Amino acid sequence: MSTGRAISATAALARAGFVDTTAAHERVSSWSIDDDLRASLIDDLSSAADPDQALAALADLPPEARRQVLADDRTRASFCIVCGASAALGRHLARHPEHIAVLSQHEIDADVIRQDLLDAVAAVDTPLGPCARGSGFDVLDELRVAYRRWLLAIAVADLVHEERFDEVSRHLADLADATLEAGLAVARADLPTDSEPCRIAVIAMGKCGGQELNYISDVDVIFVAEAVSPEGGDAGDEVAALKTATKLATGLIRACGEHTAEGSIWEVDAALRPEGKAGALVRTLASHIGYYQRWATTWEFQALLKARPAAGDRELGSAYLDAMADKVWEAAGRPDFVVDVQRMRRRVEEHVPAREADRQLKLGRGGLRDVEFSVQLLQLVHGRSDVMVRSPTTLTALESLATWGYVGRDDGATLASAYRFLRTLEHRIQLQDLRRTHLIPEADHDLRRLGRSMGYHRDPVAELTSEWGTHAREVRRIHEKLFYRPLLQAVARLEPGEARLTPEAAAERLQALGYADPAGALRHLEALTSGVSRRAAIQRTLLPVLLGWFARGADPDAALLSFRRMSEDLGSTPWYLRLLRDESAAAERMAMLLSSSRYSSDLLLRSPDAVAMLAEESDIAPRGADQLRTEVTAALSRHDNAESSVAAVRAIRRRELFRISAADILGLTDTVSIMRGISGVTEVSIEGALQAAIEAISADRGGIPTRITIIGMGRFGGGELGYGSDADVMFVHDPLPGTDDKEAADAALGVANELRRLLSVPSSDPPLEIDADLRPEGRQGPLVRTLASYAAYYARWSAPWEAQALLRARAIAGDQELGAAFTGLIDPLRWPADGLTDEALREMRRLKARMEAERLPRGADPTLHTKLGRGGLADVEWVAQLMQLRHAAAVPALRTTETIAALDAAVAAGLLEAVDRDELVSAWLMATRVRNAIVLARGKAGDQVPSAPPDLTGVAYLMGYGPGHGSDLLEDYRRVTRRARSVVDRVFYGN
Amino acid sequence: MDKQTDFVLRTIEERDIRFVRLWFTDVLGTLKSVAVAPAELEAAFDEGLGFDGSAIEGFARVSEADMIAKPDPSTFSILPWRGESAGVARLFCDIHMPDGSPSYADPRWVLRRTLSRAADMGFTFYTHPEVEFYLLKNAPGEGPLEPIDHYGYFDNSPQAIGYDFRRNAITMLEAMGISVEFSHHEGGPGQQEIDLRYADALSTADNLMTFRLVVKEVALEQGVYATFMPKPFADAPGSGMHTHLSLFEGDRNAFFEPGAPYQLSKVARSFIAGLLTHAPEISAVTNQFVNSYKRLAGGGEAPEWICWGHNNRSALVRVPMYKPTKGNSTRIEFRSLDSACNPYLAFSVILAAGLKGIEEGYELPPGSEDDVWALTPAERRALGMAPLPTSLNQAIQAMEGSELVAETLGEHVFDFFLRNKKAEWDEYRRQVNQWEIDRYLPLL
Repeated sequence: MSTGRAISATAALARAGFVDTTAAHERVSSWSIDDDLRASLIDDLSSAADPDQALAALADLPPEARRQVLADDRTRASFCIVCGASAALGRHLARHPEHIAVLSQHEIDADVIRQDLLDAVAAVDTPLGPCARGSGFDVLDELRVAYRRWLLAIAVADLVHEERFDEVSRHLADLADATLEAGLAVARADLPTDSEPCRIAVIAMGKCGGQELNYISDVDVIFVAEAVSPEGGDAGDEVAALKTATKLATGLIRACGEHTAEGSIWEVDAALRPEGKAGALVRTLASHIGYYQRWATTWEFQALLKARPAAGDRELGSAYLDAMADKVWEAAGRPDFVVDVQRMRRRVEEHVPAREADRQLKLGRGGLRDVEFSVQLLQLVHGRSDVMVRSPTTLTALESLATWGYVGRDDGATLASAYRFLRTLEHRIQLQDLRRTHLIPEADHDLRRLGRSMGYHRDPVAELTSEWGTHAREVRRIHEKLFYRPLLQAVARLEPGEARLTPEAAAERLQALGYADPAGALRHLEALTSGVSRRAAIQRTLLPVLLGWFARGADPDAALLSFRRMSEDLGSTPWYLRLLRDESAAAERMAMLLSSSRYSSDLLLRSPDAVAMLAEESDIAPRGADQLRTEVTAALSRHDNAESSVAAVRAIRRRELFRISAADILGLTDTVSIMRGISGVTEVSIEGALQAAIEAISADRGGIPTRITIIGMGRFGGGELGYGSDADVMFVHDPLPGTDDKEAADAALGVANELRRLLSVPSSDPPLEIDADLRPEGRQGPLVRTLASYAAYYARWSAPWEAQALLRARAIAGDQELGAAFTGLIDPLRWPADGLTDEALREMRRLKARMEAERLPRGADPTLHTKLGRGGLADVEWVAQLMQLRHAAAVPALRTTETIAALDAAVAAGLLEAVDRDELVSAWLMATRVRNAIVLARGKAGDQVPSAPPDLTGVAYLMGYGPGHGSDLLEDYRRVTRRARSVVDRVFYGN
Repeated sequence: MDKQTDFVLRTIEERDIRFVRLWFTDVLGTLKSVAVAPAELEAAFDEGLGFDGSAIEGFARVSEADMIAKPDPSTFSILPWRGESAGVARLFCDIHMPDGSPSYADPRWVLRRTLSRAADMGFTFYTHPEVEFYLLKNAPGEGPLEPIDHYGYFDNSPQAIGYDFRRNAITMLEAMGISVEFSHHEGGPGQQEIDLRYADALSTADNLMTFRLVVKEVALEQGVYATFMPKPFADAPGSGMHTHLSLFEGDRNAFFEPGAPYQLSKVARSFIAGLLTHAPEISAVTNQFVNSYKRLAGGGEAPEWICWGHNNRSALVRVPMYKPTKGNSTRIEFRSLDSACNPYLAFSVILAAGLKGIEEGYELPPGSEDDVWALTPAERRALGMAPLPTSLNQAIQAMEGSELVAETLGEHVFDFFLRNKKAEWDEYRRQVNQWEIDRYLPLL
């Protein structure tokens, strides 16, 4: 053999798609075949998905078998294609060369398969069904070999004859049926002769039931059995008959699953039976019916959609199916249906190990299971009133849903073709090693083989990846296409010849998706989508997606209404719809806000253009106080009268509150940052308003003869404000030297009043209420005092515990020097050098105890009152403040206005156990979160954790509890606060 | 409409049922019943029946009063004692919130939750209660208590009311689908015992609720009064509810291990250890009344100290004699429970204590072969035997600090239960009873 020929031969091999051309050349040359045959062989191999693998398989055949393959054109071509796509089938042929004939076969018929597998176990007919010649390993081996022969035949139909996925998967289900029948025959051979006779039917479930089976998969079944009633006699002994049936079922499971010299077939999985793995393996028909009547959950009914008698007693199988059909179609009428379905859908989306998510075909959003699940869901919803959509097969069901208008025709067709593509891909992946996997391989050569097996020969990897991407994108939008788009059709003008959802069906659908008022929702949809305007056109494409996002929130109905109002306001603004259409993150975030928060929705509806900031996560991040201060300064300098200055400040505040609430709802921030953010924007607003007020009064009076500062108190002083909080403050002023006291006091009072007026004057921006009730003498005392008057007032105090309120005092706006002088005045009071005397301690404990009894509103549940209840805010704050009063003089870190910081300092100083601190802080944060969630959900503040829907539902949703889990929030809240309270009892009261 | 619902509605038609009673249980274990006309029942199946939860002990405060009772069609049963002409039927209900989520206040749901925790660990929980009660000639307020007879344990008393009574009660129970295992005259005068067949804990609890009502009804029919009060007579034994417990894993008894001491598996040993460890804190639930502690103080069949023993009738937990042919019948007997408990809550805390033992792998201390009452206090201390709470007050204090009980009952029921029991104890403390009068008045 000359080198030149070798080179041209390897070049030809490379052209034919070989990777290891040298090895291929050596192999092909070592066989004594003529050039024509060699050329044909290489030609055949070039069509294989993996020519190297196919050739290696050929080399591994015994010589006689290889000659047989080479000799026949059809067999040879078929061999190359099958073994090029499946290493496992190549190995099978090397082990069982007698199956080579199958390569040129292409008739596949369910009855023939069934008979053939029964013959393989030498089954003879008995009155109760076929019975094999035995149940030993030799029989099981025969069954396995026959099974693989048919699997090979199906692979030939699939790869060589390019049958569609629908047929291939039906063949696989036929083969599974036949195998179950043969397995049953094997089990029968094992029965003791005196067994009570029984009838048994094997019901296929899942993919086998739907006749859409994979190459490799568990086969889901349910067993049903009955005693045999002899002619004219009473029914036989049911208990004994069930015993026999259980033996048969176990025997069948073993016959299919047992590992023998020839391997195993697949696991028979009976876990879908009533009560799952804990339940009896076999039940009578009556027992099945009884179970589904009483106990079954929604997913079990969904599973029953796919039930199909596969083997055993046909009559009993049909009786089972008839009985179950009724049950299935009642399921969607059950009251828990919607909640159940939503929970199931979340589970479908959640159960993907993240690191493999991008290679998953089966699980996760847009995975095969999602398609199957979504189709089943629509079947349950609409199958109740429409018998046309009840097929157990996904593709058939999808087709009929489209035909009868439950799904758009084009959407149905796109999804069907994507589903076929993805399932075929899954088949091809499984074929290679006959292993159960749903992951796209990573290695390049695996991808290349996969691509070529799917028919991409030019650039297999790139073509495969792109095609997969296209289909996966379609499927990822499945909820939009299947669930929501048809709803728009229901309110649209009908194209001739097109079916669509009836209003009743649309209402059923909306309800199943979580809309409480379907009639209202349809009205909004109609208003949003009717007409020929550009706005209506864009909204028609947006709404199917938005409806799905709304449905995830606590109140989809409110969200749809708010969206309608937004659109009426902004719809003609060019950027608005473009933003929602092009920046889908903005639209999704908006949907989330509208469907879960009245507070956020209100802020947005007051000024809809804020929706623009939802496009970028960085735009939603709350601004720091410094940046806000700059903005406020700029705003003040732009306006020359107090009203418009403060209006600008309040607009900044509104926008910032929207930003904080959005970040909160979208989970982009944490509770402590929210408190800081709200406190920060409040401070800056007061600063701005103070400046404007001073300028206004100064203009009126011709100057201000005093310095003014504002002290934040309570949660404001601690930087712990929530959405619903008022700002607690005290006003301090200090007349300039040589001015009249009365003059100075009037000016200061004028400023304070003007400040409060400016911040609360009605406008489209939310008011900021200034609360000065914590000042000396409360409401009876003067609103504004001089520093000297404060000093005189505090000097009259007798009990150190009266300084408790001052622990939270912090200068937040106005003259800084004066602020420092004020805190200098109160520091020795709030951090007394000697701490508390025993008597003062007792007094303080008693005061707290009395407050618990008296301050709680009548009828309030103390376990749910966030402020004054057991383990609520007051409990925790009093613990911190007691520590501060007693020890702050000695422990500088305790000199803080912040609750958590004070508790941390107490731990660091050894005054509090770290575990106790954790209990207190969790309760305090939980109460804070609940209070914030109450405002977000309802738009107004409340002290009591709502204990009943719908308020509970909304608050629970914002706190991360799923639909129907509101009670869990109550339970958790009570637990966390009970534990905190036991710390309070110990640490505060000294019990 | 599903077939069972259909069946219920049809039966009501055919059997001329005039009233349907919807049953549920309050937190203290009192059966609550609301009657609806048959015509309203269909709507009740669909939407449930709204009611004011604040009117039911432990269910809700006024602000959250709306609750929904949903009849469970599978519990339909015709009440056999009302005569044929105007039939009455009953159904048990589950209690829901208006959003369809189950109510944390519903004792049935407390038990369901605990059972599903057991199921997560692979277990199903079976119970078999032996219910004791007294038959009295007179109803409350009709003079001093007078038992219907003066027979004793196992006495056969063919002419006595007790005999007829037990026969009628059992017939009636069986007519309602509740299987009775065993019945006999108990140790006290007029005291009866009826044992229910073992079943899963939820069915048993439902059955016990029915049982107490049936017994009271049958007694009324015979002109006597039946009471489940734990200790009506100072000098006669109290009415306990010894309960046999077992866990199953699928079809296998998880307490059974051939060859182990007393054939008790590790699961069983840890379960018993859990019961012993947590016995004080669950007492307020298993023995929920002031009067319950009078029974425990009385000796006899009621345990006073926390210990276990093989076939030891003086222990808190008794491991019955093993029957070699019945591996699946391996079980343990918990002896402090009394007949006046709320069975849903009691089974929940018992199961939770046992499961805790299994989860944490508690070691079982050595069993006691002695008659515990015969031991001296010093001996008991040496053997490490702690007493059960001796009063409701002690039991409340033990429960108050218990995370186990709080988690099992749920915070709502936990909080209500404690408040209610503290109020009961406070009221009791203020009483002056006959014993004090008799003892002190002549003296002081």
